[in-house]
Amino acid sequence: MVDNSVIQSLPLPTFAKVRYNSWQLDEMIPATDKATTPFFMKNEKNGIEVSGLSTTYQHLTEEMTAQGVILMSMIQAKTEHPDLVENMIASVVDKAADRLSAQNFAQFNTGIFVYIPENVQFDEVLHLTLNHLATSGKDLVARVFVYIGSNAKVDILQEMHTIGTQKTKASVIIEVIADSGAQVTYANIDSFGEQTTAFINREAEVRNHATVDWQNAEFNDGNVIIRLASQLNGEGSTSHTNVIGLTTKKQTQGLVTTILNRGRHSLGHIFQRGVILNRSTLVFNGIGKIIKGAKGSDAQQESRVLMLSRRARGDANPLLLIDENDVTAGHAASVGRVDENQMYYLMSRGISEQVARKLVIRGFMGEVLAKMPTKAAQQQVVEEIERKLKHEDD
Amino acid sequence: MATLKVENLHVSVEGKEILKGVNLIVNTGEIHAIMGPNGTGKSTLSQTIMGHPAYEVTEGHIYIDNQDLSEMSVDQRARAGLFLAMQYPSEIQGVTNAEFMRAAINARRPEDDQIGVMSFIEKLDEKREFLSMSEEMAERYLNEGFSGGEKKRNEILQMMMIEPKIAILDEIDSGLDIDALKVVSRGVNEMRSNEFGALMITHYQRLLDYIVPDFVHVMMGGKIVKTGGAELAKKLEAEGYAGLRDELGLNVHLTDEDVNSYFVED
Ligand SMILES: Nc1ncnc2c1ncn2[C@@H]1O[C@H](COP(=O)(O)OP(=O)(O)O)[C@@H](O)[C@H]1O
Ligand SMILES: [Mg+2]
Repeated sequence: MVDNSVIQSLPLPTFAKVRYNSWQLDEMIPATDKATTPFFMKNEKNGIEVSGLSTTYQHLTEEMTAQGVILMSMIQAKTEHPDLVENMIASVVDKAADRLSAQNFAQFNTGIFVYIPENVQFDEVLHLTLNHLATSGKDLVARVFVYIGSNAKVDILQEMHTIGTQKTKASVIIEVIADSGAQVTYANIDSFGEQTTAFINREAEVRNHATVDWQNAEFNDGNVIIRLASQLNGEGSTSHTNVIGLTTKKQTQGLVTTILNRGRHSLGHIFQRGVILNRSTLVFNGIGKIIKGAKGSDAQQESRVLMLSRRARGDANPLLLIDENDVTAGHAASVGRVDENQMYYLMSRGISEQVARKLVIRGFMGEVLAKMPTKAAQQQVVEEIERKLKHEDD
Repeated sequence: MATLKVENLHVSVEGKEILKGVNLIVNTGEIHAIMGPNGTGKSTLSQTIMGHPAYEVTEGHIYIDNQDLSEMSVDQRARAGLFLAMQYPSEIQGVTNAEFMRAAINARRPEDDQIGVMSFIEKLDEKREFLSMSEEMAERYLNEGFSGGEKKRNEILQMMMIEPKIAILDEIDSGLDIDALKVVSRGVNEMRSNEFGALMITHYQRLLDYIVPDFVHVMMGGKIVKTGGAELAKKLEAEGYAGLRDELGLNVHLTDEDVNSYFVED
C-alpha cells in the first residue's frame, strides 16, 4: 500500500489549456460492481471483455494458447502469473509519475493483462473491452498491460464504455511494451458516458526496430483528460500516433499526445483531427521531444480542429523540444471550418446541406477511421460520429 | 422534357468578369458541345450553372424549365435534374462510393420510399459493369486514391445512377487514354434519349468522334462566338482557335497564342 500523503504530494499531470482541478480526479473510490453476461462482445476469436470486477467474455484460440499467449483479466493474472504481473506493472508508467497515475497504481482493482511471446503472429484482431459499471456510484480504477515479445505481430482493438448512468469517475492506465522488432497497431475507441469523468493514460515503450502505431478515437461524452505517449527508446523504433476526437454539449476533452525520440533513427509522427460542437472544448497538445544522441531521428506533427459552433472552444498546440542537431522535425496546426469544395461536391449530387455536412465532417476524420483494424471497428467509428453529430443543432 | 436556358449570363470571380453575356439553350434529347481555349470560362459556366459559391452572377439568368436557378441552392438544382461531372472531383475518406450514391438517390425520393439495399446493389452492379469498373470500387472511399481516369469513370457512374435530366460534363475526356475514353463515351451514349440532354465541355475534337453532338458552340473571351453542327468541331481541328478568331475578326487574347495549342493537354 502506497502512503496516501506521498501520493497527494505529487503534482497533477500537466494538460496545458485544460482546467480540470475541480474534477476531483484524485479522489477515487474503486467500484466492486460485477456482471455476468457480456455487453458488447460475442463470437470474438481472440478477445476479452472485463466489466467492473467481472470477466464477461474471454476467448483465445487453441493455437494462440498453445503458443503461450496470455489473455486474462488483471485479477486472474495476479493469481495465475503473480511474478510476471509484479515485474511488468508500472514498468512503463512509473508508479510515482504524477498524482493521478500514482493513485491508480495504489488503488486499481481490475483491468486486462496480455502477454504475447516472441514471434507470435496474430492474423486476426485481438479485441479488448473494458466496461465501467457505473451502477453503485463508485469509480473505475483499472490497469491494462500489454507485452508484445520480439518480432511478434498483432493488431489490437480496445474499447471502453460506461454501463449505467451514475455520476462517477474513471482512471485507466494502459501500458504497452513492444519488444525488439515487434509490430503493433493499437486502436482505441474510447466511449465513456456523459456521467463519467475520466483520466486515461496510455504509454508505450518501443524497443529496437519495433513499431507501435496508435489509432485512437476519442468519443467520450463526459469530461476527460487523455494522455498518450510513446517512448521510442530503440534504434529505428517507430510510432505513428493518430488521434481523432469529437466533443459535444458542454463537455471537455483535453489531450496530451507525446512522442519521445530517444533511439537513433527513431521516427515519431503525430496526426490529430478534432471536431468541436456546441459549447464543448477540445484541446490537442502535441509534444515531440528529441533527446540528445537520437541522431537521424524524425519528429513530425499535424493537428487540426474544426470548430462547428461559435461557442465551441478548441486548441491545437504543437510543441517541439529538440536536443539533437542531426534530426528532421516539423509541425502544422490549424483551426478551421468545413471544407467548402467537398460540401459543394456532395450537394451537387442532390444531397441536402445537413447530410452533406455530416459526411464532410466524417471525411475530416476519415484518415484515422480508415485505419481502424476491422470493418466492424470502422463501422463503429462511423456510428459514433453519427451519434455525436446528432447534437449538432442543440 | 426539360430545358436549361442561359440568358445573357455575366459572371465574376473574385471581382473579375469572366463570362460576358452567354446565351445557350439545351433541351432534353440534345447533345451540345462547348469548345474553347484554356481560361476562356468554360468551367466557370458549368460551375455557375451548378451554383458554386465562388462564382457571382452579375447579370442575366439561368433557368431550368421556368425555374430561376438564382433562387435555388446547389442541392435543389441537382434535384431539379441538373448534374455536373466535375473537372476536379473532391475526395472524401470515410464515406464509401456506395454510401454516397445511395444518399444521392435517396435525396430524390420521399422519406418513406427510400431505395432498398437489393435494388440499389443491382442497379450499381449493372452500371458499374457497363463502365468496366471493378466490384471493389463500391466499397472504396469516395474518389480517394483514384487515378485521374478512375475519377472520370466514377463521375459517369454517378450520372448513370442518378439519371439527371441535363448533365454537364466538364472535360470528362482529359487525362483519359483511348480505351477509357471509349468506356466513358459508351456511358454517355447509353444515356442518350428524349429524357436526357448533355452539355459537354471539351478541349478536343477527339471526344466528339465518340459522342457525336447535335450542336457545337465555340467559346472565346467569355462568350459563345459561333454555333454550328458537328462539322464545326472538325473545322476547328483544322484551323485552330486562332484561325477562327481571326476569321470572325475578334479581339480576344488566347492564353497559348498558337494554333496548335488546341492539341496540348493542360
Ligand atoms: N475559382 C476560381 N478562382 C479564381 N479564378 C478563377 C476561378 N475559376 C476560374 N477562374 C478564372 O477564370 C478564368 C476562366 O477559367 P475557367 O472557367 O476555368 O476556364 P476554362 O474552363 O475555359 O479553361 C481564368 O482566368 C481563371 O483563372
Ligand atoms: Mg475548365
